[in-house]
Amino acid sequence: MNKIEHPIQPLSSLIKALALASILAIVILITVVLPAEYGIDPTGFGKAMGLTVLTAPDEKTVKPTMAACEDTESEREDAVKLLLPAYSGLEYKFFLKKGATLEYSWKTDGQSVYFDFHGEPQGDTTGYFKSYKESSLSADSGSKDMPFVGSHGWYWKNESKSPVTVYLETKGQYQVIGLR
Amino acid sequence: MFKVANMFVSVLLLCVFSSSVAFAHGVDANTERFLLANEGVAIGPFLYIGAKHMVTGYDHLLFLLGVIFFLFRKREVLLYVSLFTVGHSITLFLGVLNNISVDPYLIDAIIGLSIVYKGFDNLGGFKRLFGFQPNTQIAVVVFGLFHGFGLATKIQDFALPKTDLWKNLLAFNVGVELGQFLALVFILIGLSFWRRHRSFYSFSNITNTFLMTAGLILFGYQMVGYSVYG
Repeated sequence: MNKIEHPIQPLSSLIKALALASILAIVILITVVLPAEYGIDPTGFGKAMGLTVLTAPDEKTVKPTMAACEDTESEREDAVKLLLPAYSGLEYKFFLKKGATLEYSWKTDGQSVYFDFHGEPQGDTTGYFKSYKESSLSADSGSKDMPFVGSHGWYWKNESKSPVTVYLETKGQYQVIGLR
Repeated sequence: MFKVANMFVSVLLLCVFSSSVAFAHGVDANTERFLLANEGVAIGPFLYIGAKHMVTGYDHLLFLLGVIFFLFRKREVLLYVSLFTVGHSITLFLGVLNNISVDPYLIDAIIGLSIVYKGFDNLGGFKRLFGFQPNTQIAVVVFGLFHGFGLATKIQDFALPKTDLWKNLLAFNVGVELGQFLALVFILIGLSFWRRHRSFYSFSNITNTFLMTAGLILFGYQMVGYSVYG
């Protein structure tokens, strides 16, 4: 039971197998995998098959979604009251351009909540996000210059067994996206 | 009947391959969101993430397919799979609890090589080319250790809270084993159907050649990733 019983192939078929495996692997890697995964496309086959769009920079796909709203951001102030049910979280977002500043101040009715203040680039579909601040507090305030255009805001999570209210005040040039 | 069995196997293999793309290097967006936001013990979710990682983890599955390809007795399958489990559990725990960080590209490249090794071994390559047969049980433990580091790097990407970390890890690990068991059941059903037919033997060479191919592709994919982003 120590040894696995399996056929030992003759040298010729072994060499054939190694050669076939290597050639096939190199061909598939260069023509398909590298273009699709990294946009490295020495043969041009990936581009011809449309595979390189999988790694193409986002710029092209970004435009249509929010373009219509672009000139409607104006200086504004908002205040909103959010209810976090027991053991659950929610996300509240704003749309800001690159370099725009969001002044914010939020507090709960006393209970500490976990939060992640973060931004997601516009047009991104990979689920990527950049975290600006992450902690567990009952209040926080500050101002943030946004590093990229997209939706920016908070994820709060109430880990206690009673509901918590979050009061959020914001000021800046943005559009309210609201609950996600 | 034989045709049906063959088709079943190819469909199965196709599924194994095609599940690959989205989860190439870790976890999907929802899982990422959960892992980043999670604090404290969450047995259920970690069980699920572990199982999902294994069922959709084509690299682990290809290696397992190679390992059990020529195992005809249930006891042997059980022994080898247990050895693999022991190997990857050790490094999963050691890696995460001691914060040992290994480059994910390099680890995944080695995991790719483990698949090449197993395909080569199944062809009797070591005996033929080098005149000796490496101990297959030790090999499966050693490669299990590398696979465990691979699992560990995926968990480590998310600075999980230290409190009760081991409980979440244990849940993740049990999930991995559940997922592995589930996947193994399907692979074994496919294999045992196929083994009734002679085509298993006439195609076993080409199957193991393709196993090497897949391993080499994974190896190249990760090494290029390492040189570009690593």
